[in-house]
Amino acid sequence: MKLRSFVGFTAPSVALMLGLLALPLLLTLWLSTRNCSFEMELVSVQQSGPFGTQAVTTQRAKVNAAGQPVQQCRDVGAEYYRKVLGLDNAAGAADKTANEFWPALRFTLLYVMGTTPFVLAGGLALALAMNRVTQKLKGVFIAASLLPFIVTPVVGALAIKWLFRDNGLVPHLLSHVGVQVFWMAQAWSAQLLVVIYGVWHVLPFAFIVFYAGLQGVPQDALEAATIDGASAWQKLRYVTLPHLAPLVVFVALIHVMDAYRVFEPVLVLTQGAFTTSVQYLTYHVLLQEDNPYKASAAAVLTIVGIAVLLIPLLRKTWREQRQGF
Amino acid sequence: MRRRLFLAGSGVVPLSGAASNSAAAQACPATATLGGIGEISLIGNSFPAITHIARRAEACARPGLKVSFKLTPQARTETELAFASAGRSPFDAAVVSMGVFSNLYARRQLAPLTALVEKHGARYKLEERMLVRVDGEVMAIAFMQNTQCLYYRADLFDKHRLAVPKTYAEMAQAAARLKTDEPSIAFPIAQGFAKGFDSATEFTNVLASVGGGYFQGNGAAPAFNGAEGVQAIAAMRSLMPYMTPNALASNSDDVVNQFQQGKAAMGVLWASRAARMDDAAASKVVGRMQFAAAPAAVAGGSSAAHLWWDGVVMPRKALRGPDAALRQEVAFHLLMNGLSEEAVAAGNDLTIWVRSSYKPGRFGTGVTLAQAAGARQWPSEPFFSLAHGEVGKVLPEALTGEKPAQAALDAAAAAYAKIVVEKGFVKA
Repeated sequence: MKLRSFVGFTAPSVALMLGLLALPLLLTLWLSTRNCSFEMELVSVQQSGPFGTQAVTTQRAKVNAAGQPVQQCRDVGAEYYRKVLGLDNAAGAADKTANEFWPALRFTLLYVMGTTPFVLAGGLALALAMNRVTQKLKGVFIAASLLPFIVTPVVGALAIKWLFRDNGLVPHLLSHVGVQVFWMAQAWSAQLLVVIYGVWHVLPFAFIVFYAGLQGVPQDALEAATIDGASAWQKLRYVTLPHLAPLVVFVALIHVMDAYRVFEPVLVLTQGAFTTSVQYLTYHVLLQEDNPYKASAAAVLTIVGIAVLLIPLLRKTWREQRQGF
Repeated sequence: MRRRLFLAGSGVVPLSGAASNSAAAQACPATATLGGIGEISLIGNSFPAITHIARRAEACARPGLKVSFKLTPQARTETELAFASAGRSPFDAAVVSMGVFSNLYARRQLAPLTALVEKHGARYKLEERMLVRVDGEVMAIAFMQNTQCLYYRADLFDKHRLAVPKTYAEMAQAAARLKTDEPSIAFPIAQGFAKGFDSATEFTNVLASVGGGYFQGNGAAPAFNGAEGVQAIAAMRSLMPYMTPNALASNSDDVVNQFQQGKAAMGVLWASRAARMDDAAASKVVGRMQFAAAPAAVAGGSSAAHLWWDGVVMPRKALRGPDAALRQEVAFHLLMNGLSEEAVAAGNDLTIWVRSSYKPGRFGTGVTLAQAAGARQWPSEPFFSLAHGEVGKVLPEALTGEKPAQAALDAAAAAYAKIVVEKGFVKA
């Protein structure tokens, strides 16, 4: 292909990727090394409203001649990265204990590792089972299995919370067999609850991908295996699974990326108690600390975390691609 | 997969310009003659009173005036971003709570409403107590108020001859009695102790009740980790043996659920949620809940509650452009149409309105009770929300006893001390 044609064909995609992926990423990187704040002044004012009048001494942004608040911006280098990681321990021990990044990373990795095998195994089992269901029932079963994936994450998490909270269906049923669990009261159960939500929500995605893959398993290979006397397990192990292998990597890749950003179930199920995740911390920095600059540093660290987790999967895909050529 | 979060529960409710002229003229005569304006965008949190105001504002839509009132649970974030935008704010006005007001005011992002109030105040019968003034300038118009008050099961209190508690110690005593004597109640107290906003708000209430403050003097240096802070956590912990073990994930919705299901007998909760106790579709305790001032955390202390208001504000950034003054005036009329005496009368029981024409029913007494019991206004320092956020992070560990209260509060104070420098409130 001539260079001119090549550029003509690829330019729109490249422009879109640069504009929508690379540029925001670079901007986030740049923001993470900056800090802007208003120049504040101490003022004493008289405030009145529904609850009466009071004299208040407070801070207010200084304004310039045009009436605009004066902002000061400066480069902070890697300061926010150190802060998010808790490496700025000049202030002493209290600092280290207040830092939530490492516990958050621990729980995030637990979530990734805890959900991925169940999503893959569960999705595969469901796909294999669905493959055996008669044609008439398939539509109904597929629609029903996809529901958790279709439901908005917040709504799904709320549904799970309502099942497990005080007076919920699950504690109620368990109480009949003499088991009393307060799911949000201690670390193991709160974390398990978030993992249960994660598997429930993403399993349909794995299922539908594997189910689609199963439709493409070469029938002649299966028939040949049958003639050779292979058992059902051997056919699965030596014909079906190798055929699905690239899809397993694909689902794992997507799920690991997604799971590392776990947020909604944390916010809805436990509000972060015992289950603070990396993404939840970014949310806290952005909204509670009202600091988009530090939140950018946290976001960049999330990207780095995902990239590190993806290295083995990407290496595998890369090797397969090379073999393919 | 997860990108849909902020779309959940949000909804822009634009009314098409096809609404008839005569209907709009009847609903809000003030804007009927103002000519073609285009679209006016307003924003507020999605709860019943604000939805009521939104519908009234939308009734003013007519050919030439499109009204879009965005109702979303993320209104605070969107408002703060819009009012801070470099260009003209995408919203012409917003409904905010007093905490958000304090932040916006401190950043000088609010337009004064004094001239509009002077010009049209009489038309809408605006009362002086609705006007939030700073050094005489009207910066917001308050329309509803809120506080925390004690919810209690009057039937159970009568049955066991219990007095309505006035302190946390009395609350714990009453709870201990109910825990042993009342078979239907396993966990007598329900209160929002969830990590983050809910527990930090409880802490703020209790801290004020024991006589403590968040900051040293008029500055931004932290004081919430002093002796009173530790005392406040001890007072909160004294209620925990009588609460569900799930309390650290219990927010206001969960507390309402525990009351409605008849599983809890008392607790401090937002006054604005009182009407839900008698919602026959969801509540098993219709007519059995009563309300009193939130107990003091210690004998002799003030009621462990704070007074809040919600009001309407306009962005300074909207004042740009040739049509800015007209747009501001129209937005003002739209909002006033939603806050008028008629609007309050039509939605009397939706909230605790500021207007004197509001008739408080069984559920509307919270603010009066709290005020009489000495509750103060919610802190208005622009750096308060930063301290509140850090306290909310460490409270679970302190409440479970995993970490000593002093150590947890010191950790929050250390984190806050850094944040407050980053935000420019304290010089490095």
